[in-house]
Amino acid sequence: MTTRIEPDGSRPAIRFDRVGQVFNGSDGGSVTALEDVSFTLHRHEFVAVIGPSGCGKSTLLRIIAGLVKPTGGQAEIYGLPVTGPREEVGIVFQQPTLLPWLNVRDNVTFPMKHKHGRVTQAEKQRAAELLAMVGLEDFATRRPNELSGGMQQRVGIARALLHDPDILLMDEPFSALDALTRDEMSFELLRIWTERPKTVLFITHSIPEALLLADRILVMSARPGRVREIIDVGLARPRSMQTLSEPRFHEIANHIRAQVFRPAALA
Amino acid sequence: MKSPTISAPRSSDRRRWPDMGRALLKVLDRGAPLFASLLLLLIWELGCRLFQVPSYLLPAPSAIVQGALSVSLESWLGHIWATLRVSLQGYALAVIIGIPLAVALANSRLLSRTLYPQLVIIQSTPIVAVAPIIVVVLGAGDAPRVAITFLITFFPIVVSTVTGLLATPPAMLELSRSLGASRLREVKNIQLPFAVPYIFSALRISVTLAIIGAVVAEFVAAEDGLGFFIAFSTSFFKVPQAFAALGVLVTLSLVLFQLVSLTQRLLFPWSLPDAEK
Repeated sequence: MTTRIEPDGSRPAIRFDRVGQVFNGSDGGSVTALEDVSFTLHRHEFVAVIGPSGCGKSTLLRIIAGLVKPTGGQAEIYGLPVTGPREEVGIVFQQPTLLPWLNVRDNVTFPMKHKHGRVTQAEKQRAAELLAMVGLEDFATRRPNELSGGMQQRVGIARALLHDPDILLMDEPFSALDALTRDEMSFELLRIWTERPKTVLFITHSIPEALLLADRILVMSARPGRVREIIDVGLARPRSMQTLSEPRFHEIANHIRAQVFRPAALA
Repeated sequence: MKSPTISAPRSSDRRRWPDMGRALLKVLDRGAPLFASLLLLLIWELGCRLFQVPSYLLPAPSAIVQGALSVSLESWLGHIWATLRVSLQGYALAVIIGIPLAVALANSRLLSRTLYPQLVIIQSTPIVAVAPIIVVVLGAGDAPRVAITFLITFFPIVVSTVTGLLATPPAMLELSRSLGASRLREVKNIQLPFAVPYIFSALRISVTLAIIGAVVAEFVAAEDGLGFFIAFSTSFFKVPQAFAALGVLVTLSLVLFQLVSLTQRLLFPWSLPDAEK
C-alpha cells in the first residue's frame, strides 16, 4: 500500500532514529550494513551522502524507499514510519533502468502505466513538459538505445519526477557517466531543483559532486556504516563553475577526504 | 589561406572492365551460399554416375527427383500434413505449458527446487527409448505422437524462458517494487518482455525439434507422416523416395525456423540483437 500525506514544513521530510540494518548471509554469518544511524532532512533540503564502498549508503536509500525494512530503529517520512514504498518518493537509480522496448515518452510515463494500468492525458502532458525541462523534447519517440548515457539518465530523472514526488532519492545517478557529462548533469540537476524544489537525498562517491550540489553532506564510515559527521556546506547559491575554485570548497573537500580515510578506530 | 582540395577521379577516367569485374564479384559474393550448394549437388550427381553407386546405397540427386515424382502429390501432401499437424500440436502445447511454468519456476523458490529436478530427469531420458512406452500407454492416433513431440520441445522452452526471466536487471525490479505494483504486472510489464530474446531463441530451436519429435513418433507407430514414409520406403529399398522425404523434412524445418524468426522481427523488433536490426 502506498499512502500520501500532505507535506508541511513543520515536520522533517526524512528522519532516521537509531536505524540499524543487519543482513543475514547465506553462510550463516551476518553483515551489519548500518549501525545506529540518526539524521534529519528538512523539507526541500539537498543532502548528499558520501562514504567508502560498502558503507551502507545504498541500504540507507532503500530503507527510505521502503524497499528494505530496517532491523533496528525507525525511519520516518513526514512523521510517519516507513512501512513500504510511498507515493511522495521518487527514485533515480545508478543505471538509467529504462525499458528497451518503450520509447522515451512511454518510459517516462511507465510508472503510471505499471501502477494503474493506464496513463491519463494529464500525465502525458506532464511527461512532455518534463522531457522539455531535461532538454529531450525532440527525442520523445526515440528508443533508449538511440540515446547517450547522459540522455538516458535524464529520461530516468524525468521518470522519477512524473508523479511530482516531494522527496527525490538518487543512488549515484551520475557515476556511470564520463567526467564531462557528469559535471554537465550536476548543473542540470541544480537547475531542475531550483525550478521545482524537492527534498533530495543524493548518494555519491565523488566529493566535488557532493560539494557542488548539497546543502549538507552526511559523511559515513565504512562497515558497519555509521554517520561520522554531518557537514554544512555553506557555499553560496546559485553555484557554478566558479564555486569549484572557492577556497572554502577545497577546505571542506580536504576535510571530508580526511574523514573518509580516517581509520575507524580513531573515530 | 587556400583550403586544400582533394580531386576525385572521374568515372569516365576509369576503364570499363574493372567495373564489370567488380559487379561479377559482387554477384558471386551474394550468391555464394547458393553456388556452394549447387556445386555440391553437381559433385554428388557426377560422383554417383562416375562410380556407378547403386541407388539403394546412395541415390544421385536426379534419382531422388525421379523417386519424388513417382509418388503422387496427394500422397506427399497427406504425409506432410500428418507430420506438420503432430509437430505443431506438440510445439503449441509445449509453448502454452512451458512459458507459464517458467514464470512459476522463476518466481517461486519452492517450485524451482521441487519441479526443476523432475524436469531435468525427463530431459535426460532418451526420448527414442520412451517413445514405444508412450505409444502403448496412449494408444493409437495422434495423442502419443503429440506427447512425444511435446516432451522433446518442452524443455528448451522452459529452461531458456527461466534464464530470460531471471536475467531481468535487479534495478528494474526495484523500480517496480518502489512503485508498489502488483507481482502480476511485474511479470507482465517487466520480466516477460526482458525474456523475449531468450524465449525466441528457444522457440527457434524447439520448432526444429518438433519436427524431429514427430518423425521419431512416426518411426514407432503411425500409418502416415514423413517419418512413417521413410521407414516404409527403406523397408522396400526405395531409398531415393526416402531421400526425397528427407529433403521435404529439411525444407519444413527451415520454413518453420524462418517463420519463428519472422514473427520475432515483426512483433518484437527491439528484441533483435543489434547486428540483425
